[in-house]
Amino acid sequence: MIRSVTHPQAGPWHRIHLMRHRRALILMTIVIGIAVLFGISGYFSGVAWPTLLEAVLRTTYRLALAYGIALVLGVTIALLVGWSPFIDFFFPFFDILQNIPSFALFPLFIYFFGFTDQMIILFATSSIVWPILFAVLTAIKGAHKDLNDAATIFGATGFRRVSFYLAPLALPAVLTGSIVGIAIGWEAIIGAEIIANIAGFGAFIKNVDISGIDASAVAGALAILVIVFVINRLVWAPLLLESSRRYAE
Amino acid sequence: MTTHPHMALVLSRICARFADEERHDLSVLRDVTFSVRTGSFVSIIGPSGAGKSTLMRVILGMMLPTSGEVVRNFSRPAMVFQNYALFPWLSALDNVAFGLRMSSVPKQERERVAREKLKEVGLLHLENHYPAQLSGGQRQRVGLARALAIQPDFLIMDEPFSNLDTITAEELKADLLKIWRAYGITILMVNHLIPDAIELSDQIILMGAHPGHVEKVVAIDLPRPRDTRGALFFQDVDALTEEIRKIS
Repeated sequence: MIRSVTHPQAGPWHRIHLMRHRRALILMTIVIGIAVLFGISGYFSGVAWPTLLEAVLRTTYRLALAYGIALVLGVTIALLVGWSPFIDFFFPFFDILQNIPSFALFPLFIYFFGFTDQMIILFATSSIVWPILFAVLTAIKGAHKDLNDAATIFGATGFRRVSFYLAPLALPAVLTGSIVGIAIGWEAIIGAEIIANIAGFGAFIKNVDISGIDASAVAGALAILVIVFVINRLVWAPLLLESSRRYAE
Repeated sequence: MTTHPHMALVLSRICARFADEERHDLSVLRDVTFSVRTGSFVSIIGPSGAGKSTLMRVILGMMLPTSGEVVRNFSRPAMVFQNYALFPWLSALDNVAFGLRMSSVPKQERERVAREKLKEVGLLHLENHYPAQLSGGQRQRVGLARALAIQPDFLIMDEPFSNLDTITAEELKADLLKIWRAYGITILMVNHLIPDAIELSDQIILMGAHPGHVEKVVAIDLPRPRDTRGALFFQDVDALTEEIRKIS
């Protein structure tokens, strides 16, 4: 009797993912280990932990809001443009807009919104939105012609095309666009907080740098690293795994 | 417009032109004229550049011809694709039910129909599998079940066997013939393989390329079920091969 002993899902991709997963865990364990060693040696004794925690949480909160707005805005615009017959018209137009450096528009945001939370959040939104929008548009533009035809032939027309075809088609692109967008978002928010000196992680490292307390900057960087790692492991890694399983050719 | 009561499809002098990426005017179809009798199995054979894909799009109304007349005596066309064109985010069951969902058929009813069609193609046990978890032959069967689920009266098949291994293709061909007889649907199939076309078809349309045009329409009168090892079958294969050689 012939019996298959290979699990159908234990393919090469699964193994690669497990290796990456292990590598990420090892890397994080090393980082945390170093931090613990620094802590034991008393390196972080001068760090104002409550202030640092508040600053990190403030920045993370701004990022979460900016990402939420950018996600809704980017996906909606991309789906509507991708659904319309004008995708080729809008693509270069968006390309020009996204090439404008975000910080070149920073004075405009200050002018309109002042030195406020809203200003930082909307400024970050304007940076995060582009990778999401382009990823979705590229996914729609690059969809296989047969898949488009199948959707049309089997009745995915009108607004149903958006909800039943374009939106699920673009889901992996939303994930990758989000990962890139959030990375850009951290930079935009921290950069904006440094420039505008608005309470948050950016202002915290700017102030500790001036006062010369390096341990606080290191502690802050470690705190951000842990947040990024946790978001990556708990949110993006499982979603990417599921998307690559489902969307594999 | 002329009426053709026994014809599912009538194409009269269809021409299609469009501009390529460098904005050169390209003639893709020139004076394509043929008709497909209701309930018949018709194959189209032609070299690359014969405009077969464009012709399919014109027939399905997804592209307007530059000139000519298309008479469609069908209301629910469906298509089976060479590359399967299954939606990767949907399970086999949901892929089959997709067309019904778009027609707002209630969930319970569309799942019942989808299961029935999956059973017909022998894949009921894989209803929860995603396309990535299926073999090429299984994907093509899901594609066929998806097409059958909307109860089509005209089925277009674009080289449905070309990505399949010989054994799978043979099995699918046998199933396709059974389904064709059971449903009485009109089938128009683009094919590259002459023996397959002769085995399956009532009529074969030979197309030439650059621009695509009809070279010859050949009726296949062999009795069904066809003996693919008989002398008559090989005679037809030889004759058709000779015709194609002349075209190319």
